[in-house]
Amino acid sequence: MTGPSTAWYLSVAGFLFGVGALGVLIRRNPLIVLLSLEIMLNGANLALIAFARHLHNGDGQIFALAVMAVAASEVVVGLGLIVALNRKHVPLDVDRLNSLRG
Amino acid sequence: MISGAWICLLSPLAAAGLITLAGERISRRTAGYLATLSCFVAFGGAVATFVGLLGRSGGQRAIVSTAWTWISAGSYRSGLAVMIDPLSVFMMLIVSGVGALIVAYSIGYMDGDKEERRYFAYMALFVFSMLLLVQGGNLLLLLAGWGMVGLSSYLLIGFWHERPSAIAAAKKAFIMNALGDATMALALFLLIKKAGSVEFGILGGQYSSTVATLVALGLLGGAVGKSAQLPLQTWLPDAMEGPTPVSALIHAATMVTAGVYLIVRTHAIFEQAPRVADLAAGLGAGTLLVAGLIALVQVDIKRVIAYSTMSQIGYMFLGVGLGSYANGMFHLMTHAFFKALLFMAAGIVIHALANEQDIRKMGGLRQLMPRTYLAFLIGSLALVGIFPFAGFFSKDSILAAALDHGAYGYVLWVVGLAGTFLTGLYTFRLLFLVFWGEPSPFVREHFHALKSDVVGLSLAVPVAILAALAVVGGWIQWAPLWHPIETWLRTAAEPTVSPKSWQEWMTSALALLFGLGGMYVAWLYYGTRRYAVPRYTFPQRVLEHKFYFDELYDALFYRPTVWVAKGLYGWIEDPLVDESSHSLGQDTRDLGRLVARAQTGLLRTYALAIASSVAVLAIVFVAVR
Amino acid sequence: MIVASVGNVLVWAVWVGAAFACLGSAVAVVSFTNPFYSALALIGNLGSLAVLYLLQSSEFVAAAQVMVYAGAVMVMFLFVIAYVGPRTESPWTGGPSWQAIGAVLAAGALLVEIVVVIGLKAGGELAHSHHVGGTFGTPSYIGRLFLTDHLLAFEITSIVLLVAAIGGVILGAHSRTTADEVSPL
Repeated sequence: MTGPSTAWYLSVAGFLFGVGALGVLIRRNPLIVLLSLEIMLNGANLALIAFARHLHNGDGQIFALAVMAVAASEVVVGLGLIVALNRKHVPLDVDRLNSLRG
Repeated sequence: MISGAWICLLSPLAAAGLITLAGERISRRTAGYLATLSCFVAFGGAVATFVGLLGRSGGQRAIVSTAWTWISAGSYRSGLAVMIDPLSVFMMLIVSGVGALIVAYSIGYMDGDKEERRYFAYMALFVFSMLLLVQGGNLLLLLAGWGMVGLSSYLLIGFWHERPSAIAAAKKAFIMNALGDATMALALFLLIKKAGSVEFGILGGQYSSTVATLVALGLLGGAVGKSAQLPLQTWLPDAMEGPTPVSALIHAATMVTAGVYLIVRTHAIFEQAPRVADLAAGLGAGTLLVAGLIALVQVDIKRVIAYSTMSQIGYMFLGVGLGSYANGMFHLMTHAFFKALLFMAAGIVIHALANEQDIRKMGGLRQLMPRTYLAFLIGSLALVGIFPFAGFFSKDSILAAALDHGAYGYVLWVVGLAGTFLTGLYTFRLLFLVFWGEPSPFVREHFHALKSDVVGLSLAVPVAILAALAVVGGWIQWAPLWHPIETWLRTAAEPTVSPKSWQEWMTSALALLFGLGGMYVAWLYYGTRRYAVPRYTFPQRVLEHKFYFDELYDALFYRPTVWVAKGLYGWIEDPLVDESSHSLGQDTRDLGRLVARAQTGLLRTYALAIASSVAVLAIVFVAVR
Repeated sequence: MIVASVGNVLVWAVWVGAAFACLGSAVAVVSFTNPFYSALALIGNLGSLAVLYLLQSSEFVAAAQVMVYAGAVMVMFLFVIAYVGPRTESPWTGGPSWQAIGAVLAAGALLVEIVVVIGLKAGGELAHSHHVGGTFGTPSYIGRLFLTDHLLAFEITSIVLLVAAIGGVILGAHSRTTADEVSPL
């Protein structure tokens, strides 16, 4: 086959996943956290597509489409939350949203 | 006859139960009548049993009547039984008879006390316990009665429980009794284990000398504790904190004589351990001397009589330790009469003088209370052993028996005679100080005579009856001439010593002489006040401190025990037990607080935790596959 | 063969470009302080990912990625970022002291593990990929799969989208309580 083998694509997917995880863990603005979450989901999508191509199985692509749809829904709800927070003048900082502490 | 014995035993118990259950529904006087009636019924039962037993011949005079089987475990079988034999009937008559008289006397003495009902319930309980002790059909019931008697004594000594001194005295009595009870229980356990049964028959069995010695020692310990002999004698003077009828009944006539009864009942064991029997006699002799000396300096009227009791029981121990069982029991009987008489007369004096008990404040009561004086005089003469009063006949036989016991017996004989002198001295010192001379200022101020109402009668009649008994009670046996008591008790306890007639006469003469000598000396110093009482400081101090026994026991037992208890508390109880239960809660809370610190509320730390866990799990999965 | 080798070089070149763009924009998303710039970087990321999908013969997915993700989702993000206003915060600040170190360690560990696993399997199952025909990844191919094998997933996904839409409306609606009353969040 031409071009890089499946392993290369998977490495890129893994890297995307790691960078997204790092972003979730170190950023405080919930918007950026959501963006990083999107990166992680895209990494997973890339892995799915790569495997679909590798195994000549269309299920991976279907799954990737479903992931995309679910990611879209989740972003809708997350952004709705952020808008609501903003309207209540709650500071948009995940470190400050800690009232569920023990 | 058997039903008579059961009635005798159960009637006081019924009275105690009724008085307790009735509570405030009956008047205080009624409680008194109830208790007295039950004791008289018991006496009736005892007489019926006695008559029934007379009808039988000597060999058939030991009956055990079992109500029902109480414990049945393997080969042990013990029932709720009463023993009817000459010895138990003898004691039944004394206990119920003298007990009934004293309870009747209590009606007048305790009149006006707010807790009369409790008093009479306790008195009835005591009479029942004592009867259980003497009538118990097996060793377990004997032990049960023994313990209950100690309990009743504790309850009655501490009857006026608002007084700290009474509470302390009750505790002291109970603890010293418990010491003796413990040794006795151990002895009985050993005996029961060796014999395999709890019936009285095992007392006649043969045991190895070690076993017999140990058992006898334990029994002696119990007897010494209950009868206030050396070395467990310190509780008896303190027990005078209780009401005077209690002192009369428990600490003169009945409970303190339980030790003597025990030795006679278990005489077979003591005969197999002659050293212990000699020890018993020696302790008795020692006690009678020590008590006689201490009584010389006492200033409380009841305490003088208490030490006199201690001394006389020493005589009884001397007698039964030597093997002269019938004479010991005979002295027990006469002593019950005149000692109860003395206590009750003293009680009348105390009542007349507004509860004053210090004899230094008394004097000249002879003119003011002539009949009480007469009763006291009769009791004193009986105590000293002057012919023809009761003590003469009983005490002298005991001393004579000592002459049949070898060299050791001679020593005891001399001690006993010295004791007679002391008895005369302290008894008449008491009499002269209280009754002779001019009425003291205190007496003039506080004296009020007895009226002839129920109170007065209930005080006077029993005293009169006992005075009569103190006169004639001794005539039932005069050892050289006629001895029905010895014959009666022979089937229960065969005496092992038999002094010759001339020894009896000689002893009687000498004892009489010494007794009169003591009386004369007392008359010189206290009666006519011709000479001042000599004051030797060192002996005076020793006697006043009762030979320092209390201080010795305090240093030997009390202080180390308190020290150990404090140490245990400080080192073990507080840091380990208390702290552990405290820190159990505290540490759980601290642990919870520590764990709660993981709940930071920060979203990012939770996410970090999840990410780290995924990383670790991934390694695990990869490695496992 | 020359065509094949030229094609190979072309594929490699495109792959390298798209991959680096993808990774670079991902790092940019995480590191920019201004969220607007992060969103823009993410759009770039999504675009490069679409190129990578095309390289993997997934045309429909690539198109859907650009239309849905880059077109709709990112526009939504940009709207909200604009609404919320300028908020800048630097990446590594705040939180407990061990948060940053722990984050790097965890993310690094994950990355290393993925690479290691890939490396372990690269010689085995990942070596030979199947040959795919021209119809693989076309809309008709996807459509047939959606309506036959994965019909349930298709329907449920649509319900999920509906629920999300409703949730969005509720969360965004103005509260009907009065000004002084504090309603729960």
